[in-house]
Amino acid sequence: MGGGGPHVVVVGAGSTGAAIAHDLALRGFAVTVVERGEVGSGTTGRNHGLLHSGARYAVTDPVAARECIEENLILRKIMPEGLELNGGYFIALTPEDMDFRQTFLEGCEAAGIPTRELTKEQLLRMEPRLSPKILGGVMVPDGVFEPYRFCLSFLASAQARGARVLTYHEVEGVLVEGGRTRGVQVRDRIRGRELTITADAVVNAAGPWAAKVAATAGCRVPLILAPGVMIAVGVRYSHRVVNRLAPPGDGDIIVPQRFTSMIGTTSWTVQDADLIPIPPDHVERMMDAGEAFFPGFRRQPKRGVFAVARPLVGPEEDQAEGEGFERAVTRDFACKHHEAEGAAGLFSVTGGKTTTSRLMAEAVVDQVGRWLGFERPCQTRTEVLLPPRRFFTERVVS
Amino acid sequence: MSWRLTLKIHRWQPGDRAPYYDHFTVEVPEEAYVLDAIEKVWAEQDRSLAFRHACHHASCGSCGLRVNGREKLPCITPVTDYPNGSTIQIDPLRHFPLVRDLVVDMGPFSQAMEAVRFSIIRHASEGVPDARSSEPPILPEEDHEATRFENCLECGLCVSACPIAGSALNYLGPAALAAAERMLVEPRGVDPLAVWEAIDHDDGLWRCHGAFECSAACPSEVDPAAAIMRLRRYGPKVGQVARQQRR
Amino acid sequence: MPNADKGRVPAERSRRVSRWFDPRGIAPGQLAFVLHRITGLGLVFYLYLHLAVLSLLARGPEAWDRFIDLAKTTPILILDVVLIFGLLFHALNGLRLTLVSLNMGVRRQTALFWGAALVTVVLTAVAGWMIFRM
Ligand SMILES: Cc1cc2nc3c(=O)[nH]c(=O)nc-3n(C[C@H](O)[C@H](O)[C@H](O)COP(=O)(O)OP(=O)(O)OC[C@H]3O[C@@H](n4cnc5c(N)ncnc54)[C@H](O)[C@@H]3O)c2cc1C
Ligand code: SF4
Repeated sequence: MGGGGPHVVVVGAGSTGAAIAHDLALRGFAVTVVERGEVGSGTTGRNHGLLHSGARYAVTDPVAARECIEENLILRKIMPEGLELNGGYFIALTPEDMDFRQTFLEGCEAAGIPTRELTKEQLLRMEPRLSPKILGGVMVPDGVFEPYRFCLSFLASAQARGARVLTYHEVEGVLVEGGRTRGVQVRDRIRGRELTITADAVVNAAGPWAAKVAATAGCRVPLILAPGVMIAVGVRYSHRVVNRLAPPGDGDIIVPQRFTSMIGTTSWTVQDADLIPIPPDHVERMMDAGEAFFPGFRRQPKRGVFAVARPLVGPEEDQAEGEGFERAVTRDFACKHHEAEGAAGLFSVTGGKTTTSRLMAEAVVDQVGRWLGFERPCQTRTEVLLPPRRFFTERVVS
Repeated sequence: MSWRLTLKIHRWQPGDRAPYYDHFTVEVPEEAYVLDAIEKVWAEQDRSLAFRHACHHASCGSCGLRVNGREKLPCITPVTDYPNGSTIQIDPLRHFPLVRDLVVDMGPFSQAMEAVRFSIIRHASEGVPDARSSEPPILPEEDHEATRFENCLECGLCVSACPIAGSALNYLGPAALAAAERMLVEPRGVDPLAVWEAIDHDDGLWRCHGAFECSAACPSEVDPAAAIMRLRRYGPKVGQVARQQRR
Repeated sequence: MPNADKGRVPAERSRRVSRWFDPRGIAPGQLAFVLHRITGLGLVFYLYLHLAVLSLLARGPEAWDRFIDLAKTTPILILDVVLIFGLLFHALNGLRLTLVSLNMGVRRQTALFWGAALVTVVLTAVAGWMIFRM
């Protein structure tokens, strides 16, 4: 197994865990991914599938914007089997939206996001189903991915380098001995039995459940669970992604995919991410927001209504306590080494986006490698990923 | 209003001699889907229940199973399709190796899709020869031909519904044959002859007996049966041309 | 250890022809499929029965006359009607399958099925009427 490097267990096979597994395997680590359900059955599978160009954050979060466009351009190269690359628009519905345009264009320019202004007439020619009430817009290099296959691609590539991916295996506890992480206690949900997996380090990429996993080792992960509602309808209204030309808000993104369109999203907070009830008023709001872009949207039969929690990085207090809280690369993503809490070798990763998961993985594996004294250069920027299906055809262990 | 269903769920784990059923009663909002009901059973009643799911909007194709014997994607099957207060039976897909409860192994299915070299990015409009001939521009021009994912979700519902897949162990199955047709219409850099040769045999194109169950089961507008019949009509010619071109 | 410990329900280990007759199909295509197989098996069975009956000729005139008497009883006449139904359905649905496999009328395969079924029922009724009138 692997390239003879140290053995790292990755908890969770969402986009974060999958990208980390790939990066680890490529650098020669021995890797075991432990996922309690299906690949992507947490937050990732149910996300919007928008390959961000970064334009959404260009005004509010320039760092995130820059990361998004850089990763967007990398993913185009390494994921040939998983992206609808048609671009996206930011479209103005009101005069205020039009006023926002200048700020928006400046933000994109500063972040290095290419843009092209489009008149109302051009937009209606390219997307005839848009409401004639739109005022104008800007084209950006947004794209569409399929969250499930996004994860499978990374995992297939990791598997090809010897990583073991154990789906339907739940981590029940992180094993700590003398201040050091020794591995994980796992419940094999297929055969209904317990097993212990020893490891040199454990990367906790359990998304909204990361706090629970860390708690088994007596560690804390500051986390806010902020779900959003999304709705799919069985009509593809546009070739390209449609965003509202306005600061981020509710129901301002419509992602087309196959013959469907998906609108999202809202935001509130919950305590438990296992089962998120869908607030009916959020559904109404989404359908109305869709109607504003595409007349007739509201009357479409729905093809899935779902909500899932963003694992957002919690309050800053931890940083003040100076417990090795490392805000690697980005403001909305954190990798915390729980050394000061008595669990050296346990790393918890939270936040970020699927679009930037490769970048997060790079930062996490740098940190893990440094601590284990196994430093190898990251190669994920250019390594072309295997097609998602290969995850099933080249399964090492069920 | 809420909707009350009793789910009679297929259970089996390695080592069990025979599968059995467990009954769970759940109440969900009437806007909910069958998958929400199953997830609720897992979250609140039985943590050992294993089922596949990811996207919850018929895009990943992972949650396929059978409700009252019929192949469904539970993520887009409204609970109101079944009477309030009724019992519905939930079974895994047929003709797949069973892993546990409702979880099946997509290995053999994926192998068939690989055999026909299915590539999942296509042109948005019909009749455009090749979606992959050039790299998509970072900012597409107005007249740029849009690309998109193929309709097929690789969910396997069609294979589960097919009576022939039930008797012929090595039959490629409807999804792979429909995928082969897409690859012959729009080869995207793949050798058409290789695709044709992958299906032109007893366990491929010619095994189908026209039950049309695949097309009735498909949740994603693929209509595999029609694709198979088109292949029977035009495929041999395409194969012949490809063979001549290779020579 | 690829697939080594992957579990399978015993029933899933082998694929069974009995699955052909799973009647749960709502689609007429499946109904046609099941009927086609049943009538096909029936016709094969009849063919051998027919050979057995013909072999009575070798046993002399009495044996043959006894058979003719039996053949005129109501239960056997009913079986004749069933045979005609099977023959007609198998022939007509066979034509439907041939057409469809040549990519003709694929979109109307359901209508073709009902058409074949209708013609089968009408002709069987006519034949039945003629048989019992005799
Ligand atoms: C509504 C919404 C829309 C979004 N839209 C987009 C978008 O369009 N584009 C984009 O780039 N990003 C988007 N995001 C952000 C993105 O989805 C998340 O940042 C990302 O999916 C997080 O992935 P993750 O791997 O960290 O978490 P998860 O995907 O939740 O993965 C964690 C995994 O750990 C597993 N797990 C939990 N506990 C255990 C345990 N004890 N043992 C084993 N496994 C365990 C879970 O089953 C799960 O699969 C969106 C987020 C939300 C909420
Ligand atoms: S052809 Fe239809 S039913 Fe078959 S795998 Fe593809 S989407 Fe599913």
